[in-house]
Amino acid sequence: MKVIARAALLVASSLAAIIVLGPLLWALSTSLKSDNHIFAVPPRWIPDEPTLVHFRRLLAEGVHWSFLNSTIYALGAVAAAVLVGAVAGYALVRYPVFGKRALLVLFMGVMAIPGYALLLPTQIAFVKLGLFDTRLALPILYAAHVMPFAVWMTRAHFAGVPRELEQAALVDGYSRLEAVWKVILPGARPALLSAAAFGFLYSWNDYITATTMLESPDLRTLPVALIFFQGFHGRDWGALMAGVVVATLPPVVLFLVFRRYLIGGFAEGSVKG
Amino acid sequence: MPSPPRLRPGHSARSVRFAGVAKRFGPVTAVADVDLTIEPGQFVTLLGPSGCGKSTTLAMIAGLELPSEGRILIGDRDVTSMPPAERDIAMVFQSYALYPHLTVFENIAFPLRARRRRMSNEDVTRKVRDAAAMLGLDQLLDRVPREISGGQRQRVALGRAMVRTPTVYLLDEPLSNLDQQLRVQMRSELKDLHQRLGATMLYVTHDQGEAMTLSDVIAVMSAGRIEQVGAPRDLYDWPANLFVARFLGEPGMNIFEGEPLDGRLRAAGVSIPLPDTLPDAPDPLCAGIRPEYLAVEPADTAPLLGTVRTVEFLGSRSLVRADIGATLVTAFVSPDIELAPGQPVGLGPSDPCKVRWFNGRTGAAIRAGI
Repeated sequence: MKVIARAALLVASSLAAIIVLGPLLWALSTSLKSDNHIFAVPPRWIPDEPTLVHFRRLLAEGVHWSFLNSTIYALGAVAAAVLVGAVAGYALVRYPVFGKRALLVLFMGVMAIPGYALLLPTQIAFVKLGLFDTRLALPILYAAHVMPFAVWMTRAHFAGVPRELEQAALVDGYSRLEAVWKVILPGARPALLSAAAFGFLYSWNDYITATTMLESPDLRTLPVALIFFQGFHGRDWGALMAGVVVATLPPVVLFLVFRRYLIGGFAEGSVKG
Repeated sequence: MPSPPRLRPGHSARSVRFAGVAKRFGPVTAVADVDLTIEPGQFVTLLGPSGCGKSTTLAMIAGLELPSEGRILIGDRDVTSMPPAERDIAMVFQSYALYPHLTVFENIAFPLRARRRRMSNEDVTRKVRDAAAMLGLDQLLDRVPREISGGQRQRVALGRAMVRTPTVYLLDEPLSNLDQQLRVQMRSELKDLHQRLGATMLYVTHDQGEAMTLSDVIAVMSAGRIEQVGAPRDLYDWPANLFVARFLGEPGMNIFEGEPLDGRLRAAGVSIPLPDTLPDAPDPLCAGIRPEYLAVEPADTAPLLGTVRTVEFLGSRSLVRADIGATLVTAFVSPDIELAPGQPVGLGPSDPCKVRWFNGRTGAAIRAGI
């Protein structure tokens, strides 16, 4: 019985792994093949003569600048969203905020609005504000998209922290700010990291907001830049797959480093929220 | 009346004084008009049922709540609206409130590392080791709170309080999360600690056993007011009113309400002789007799006549519950006396001097000619 259960689990996990990893590995394989091997029949997993020609092509096209843009937008958005979100989450737990429940429902509600519905109004607003096609456009929007989640996540955490911990620090000779900094924040690290990781993945993966809010080639994000390899004259599959590989690396690294917080954090948010 | 025992106070110990302190939360009055003085080095317990305002009173000394009215003085400093950090007090919380991400060492060191104290690392280490040695925590300094037992956490919380020799210790039900055996052990450790430190300690509890054994002075609170302040023995022997009489003691004092008539307190099943010294007995009048001062007497002459409800054999004595008129009376009697439920029984005070008298309308005690 136990053996069957284990075998079933193994088969299911393997299937899931193939479904998830297959395309990624295929992209990796393709990115290392020269153009005339990509459509070789029968297809081969391991390239006969691995080549970095497609990665060089990315560099030649300046895709590394887009990579840098994506990174800066995402990090800026995450920093703003987590900082403001955590302060709001703390205040919503510890201070008598007018209309607290309504605010929380509002934060929850806006998470349910599909982003696409807001694209055109936001674009019009940004044009009028002079933010359209500037470096600030995406960090502001990504931070706005991620913030409700950050508020909920941190609020759920702070609500579970006994008030006495802070009071103990006050009595021990610390100011309120010091108490939060030394006692409350260290304990909130999992919640902050999982909010940050979620925010980074969201910002990193976005395509639609980036194409709507930016026009200049030097402001492009990575997903937008890669789309240009699906040109009008047939697709440059090698370069496209090399780009996919590059784009996948940061999330994978992020997950490997923070997976403990990511999994735990999401569970915490779902149980206590 | 014996005065509370006075210890030589420690050098940092200060007095605490409440002058007309009140605390209101919206329309709810948590603490009403408290006047109380705690001498340096005294162990004072605020005792009362839950919700009586004792924890709020403690929080006001700590500065975690601000009084709505009145002043609080520690030593000769008016701390009424001073932030907690500046009051130089230490507090042990019911939940211990240990910092979960810090080791035992860092938990105890935490107050010393506050910027306002500017203490060198060597001094911190020395003081933490001293406190840890005193509490037997030497072996646990590298653990974090979740890796140690409840009793050990309790000691860490005490260590964090002790380490900086505060002017006043505030202890909010610090033993209530421990199991019975550990509680009794920590109780005597706490008493011992108080004597060694000579510190002013203010203790909050609803457990009268703790209050009785630990305190120099007990302040009994009810509904935001202090009902009586005094040494444990005085409170037990001479309750100032019916609340204290019923609240103190396990079980509390038996109270008989009736009218004074022809030199006796009379009610259904009750006929207790009034002492000659009781001047102009009020009507209604209440007599109070502790369970241990009730004895079984022949039914035809007994001042109290009723029916046995239950008998609990406790080994050295038996606890008898009997209905006398409308009153359920408890009495400790010799286990040799055979009583059965439903049986009529006569009871009376074993010593007339141990009967206490109260004004039935105001509840205040009447000190008959003493």
